[in-house]
Amino acid sequence: MNQIVDPALLAEEASRIRAAAEKLRVMSADFPAVNRNAVRILASVRMIELNLGDAS
Amino acid sequence: MNQGQRCWNPYLETLTREELHRLQLQKFKRIFHWAYTHSRFHRRLYEKAGLTPADITSFEDIRRVPKVDKSMLRDIQSKAPFPYGDALCVPLEEVVEFRQTSGTTGQPVYQPDTWQDWEWWSECWAFVLWAQGYRPGDRVFIPFGYNVFVAFWAGHYAAEKIGCEVVPGGVLDTQARILKIREVRATAMMATPTYILGMAETARRKMDIDPTALGISKITCAGEPGASIASTKQRMESAWNAKVFDHAGATEIGAWSYECAAQPGGIHVNEAFFLVEIEDLDTGEPIEAPGRKGRMVITAFDRMAQPCIRFDAKDLVMWEHAPCPCGRSFRLLKGGVLGRADDITKVKGVLLAPAAVEEVVRSIDGLGDEYEVIIDRLGDMDRIKLKVEIAPGFEDRIRSLETVLKDQLRLKTNLGYRIEFFDYGKLPRYAVKAKRFRDLRKESFHSP
Repeated sequence: MNQIVDPALLAEEASRIRAAAEKLRVMSADFPAVNRNAVRILASVRMIELNLGDAS
Repeated sequence: MNQGQRCWNPYLETLTREELHRLQLQKFKRIFHWAYTHSRFHRRLYEKAGLTPADITSFEDIRRVPKVDKSMLRDIQSKAPFPYGDALCVPLEEVVEFRQTSGTTGQPVYQPDTWQDWEWWSECWAFVLWAQGYRPGDRVFIPFGYNVFVAFWAGHYAAEKIGCEVVPGGVLDTQARILKIREVRATAMMATPTYILGMAETARRKMDIDPTALGISKITCAGEPGASIASTKQRMESAWNAKVFDHAGATEIGAWSYECAAQPGGIHVNEAFFLVEIEDLDTGEPIEAPGRKGRMVITAFDRMAQPCIRFDAKDLVMWEHAPCPCGRSFRLLKGGVLGRADDITKVKGVLLAPAAVEEVVRSIDGLGDEYEVIIDRLGDMDRIKLKVEIAPGFEDRIRSLETVLKDQLRLKTNLGYRIEFFDYGKLPRYAVKAKRFRDLRKESFHSP
């Protein structure tokens, strides 16, 4: 198998995206177009977390 | 992106066994805690067993967790919230996908998924497709009647996620689908083994089109065990001049397994996302040793809306002892799903698995792809009738075919059969799950 970037480094970046998307979601309660897309981003971030072995 | 990367997830798919076990235990604790705190159904079940999340500290503890089966899921559907019942772990407004089981064994089970769950479904399928060589640049044709059954929906979304171009072949008949494959020059497709064989037959006999010239290079099969039955796989591969791969999944579970490009004679369990336990059919004792068939109990670690924890899938499986040459550390199940515990039946005191009959029928040149097995009883004597079709050009060889067929069936199943030959095309064709096995003894038993 090829060498890959340290999953912990990738997880750090993912956590920053999660924080930003979560903030967007909370801020956009009255703005469906932003709010629902933030929910979708969070689902995608969750898949990245699972792919990096998140078990928390 | 490095398309030469063999694994969709080169990190998880190559974890050591110790790392995988650690991950699995952590994830089991998490999903157990989630279900215990969010689902009234699971809470009742676990309280009755005297279990709380704090009790789950080892794999031995996991084996104390009560199993769930399909009949239990059917029962809770009568409870609120409609239509799912009280195993639902999220507010109803977070559910964005409805699917249901086919209902072949009774009232269908409804399955709710949030958008995150649906992302998870396609993520699981992305492991499948990447392992089988799907890459950006592939044009994937999906000859599937998009409907309430999950079947290839998630395969569609996963192919998109990978970066393939997807051509949905929904409301087209078989001939129109074949023409569309030719028109768009599709390179891959997904369907049941029965339909893959049926499409090839339609192309050859009704359209005078050679399926091997259509340019399909890989086919992913699901819904039936055929792609892991050597003779059926061989028929499909030669019919299409394509690599054929198996995948097993289920509505209530998810897409939990895949055959990889090495075609190792089995399917990998996605052990980072699922826990597969195998239990002895009679005693229920756990089976860790390779080569011993048992009943699969499965947990999906990351499915949240309606969790799947220690689900008794009634699938028969066994571990392979050899590691896969592909380099993945996810264990292999030898021969894929070997059958359904419900389908294994005793005939004349001998256990008969329908897959064994299929293996024999499709290994014999001169027989068509279709067959039917009918078991009944005359007085106290069980009888098995096998209906097969003679392939065109073999009509004058019925006697010799019958001899070979009976010998092989005796060898592989230890049983004698009455053989009934039909002209080619006379037995029923199936587009989805085929019904080739009928036990009239059970049907008459259940009659009023």
